[in-house]
Amino acid sequence: MKRAPLFVLAGTAAGLAGVLSFHTRPLTSAALASPASPAALSTHGQGSGGQGSGGQRKGPAARKRSAGPASVPTAPAGVRSVVGATEQYGYGQLAVKVSVRGSRITDVTVPVIQVAEQYSQQLAGQAFPVLRSEVLSAQTARINGVSGATYTSEAYAASLQAALDKLHIK
Amino acid sequence: MATGTAAVSHAEAVMGTVVSITVVPGGPSSQPTGRAIESACAALHRADRIFSTWDPQSPVSRLRRGAATLRDLPAEVAQVLDLCEEARRTSGGWFDPWSLPGGVDPTGLVKGWAVDQALAILRQAGMPAAMVNGGGDIAVFGAPEPGQKWRIGIRHPWRADALAAVVDVTAAIATSGSYERGQHLVSPFTGRPSSQAASATVTGPSLAFADALATALAVGGDAVLAMLAGLDGYDGYLIRPDGSEADTGGIAFG
Repeated sequence: MKRAPLFVLAGTAAGLAGVLSFHTRPLTSAALASPASPAALSTHGQGSGGQGSGGQRKGPAARKRSAGPASVPTAPAGVRSVVGATEQYGYGQLAVKVSVRGSRITDVTVPVIQVAEQYSQQLAGQAFPVLRSEVLSAQTARINGVSGATYTSEAYAASLQAALDKLHIK
Repeated sequence: MATGTAAVSHAEAVMGTVVSITVVPGGPSSQPTGRAIESACAALHRADRIFSTWDPQSPVSRLRRGAATLRDLPAEVAQVLDLCEEARRTSGGWFDPWSLPGGVDPTGLVKGWAVDQALAILRQAGMPAAMVNGGGDIAVFGAPEPGQKWRIGIRHPWRADALAAVVDVTAAIATSGSYERGQHLVSPFTGRPSSQAASATVTGPSLAFADALATALAVGGDAVLAMLAGLDGYDGYLIRPDGSEADTGGIAFG
């Protein structure tokens, strides 16, 4: 039986990897409540596919991604943004978006993070206990950072570097 | 880009992770923000060079294999080992860099320590507020916006896309969890994998200590939580493997 083939999340890995968007940014649609919601899939899939190099798409999650044209969000004048290559991390894939003004990084977020089918099924198949505190959406909570182990760092760094390379920033 | 704040963000790949630095510029006698961030990053890279257990020529690697003594090495090595010893005692032995085969490994405290160093540089540079986030171990000072506290989410142990809690942080917060792939928490007492926690968070004045104590809390669970309850300045928040939660009462849940 198939269920929830992919999670597609916005902005979460940013916190995991240690770089957070400010909460005042209009965040992309929260895919949290309904994992693998079709809307979230297409939105994030296209946004990343076009912007990023799309290189290194390996693994089960890749086939869900579309390589549509870039949809570049409007940004303040002088700010350039680019999404780095999609990279594998422990449980799926992510891509890092970096914004710069001149040669200065003004923002780093993770617009695309996907949990591979295998892992999401593994999660779905386990009866995890419910925490006392309600699960909070990392997308909507007003936070400055996320504390917790990071397993995305190498993928994050690689995608970030790819983005910086595209912007011709050393 | 954020509105309502002129905070400057920088991401630095160092210590096998990405360290993000957020600075609120504009102190009355502050250095240029860019230069302060550069200095903070330099401190992180220096810590990386000294304490990398991957680089066989790093000072800590030489110490581990007995190719050097403390006297031959940068002063930071002895300083960090002193902190490790203090954390070992404070945690009742649940954090013990000497317990594993292969020589002393201060890695469990070094990242927090390095982030503390970086943050101290930003503070000394006159920045009114800053946050340094070393792959989820976070140290802050000042206010991100006037009248605001730094609000830190704690990663949900079983849902990478969710938070288990949000905490107001005034100094340091570290979280350790068994959900992290590749992380093997080993009991110093048995030498065997041990995890009494799905997620273990420690707050306090020093990230070096919070980092080490979060590891201890993850390995020791309730025994370490009880210890933290009696430790001035530090607090713990434990999510047990069965999903039940406990904390020492001093954490400002948002």
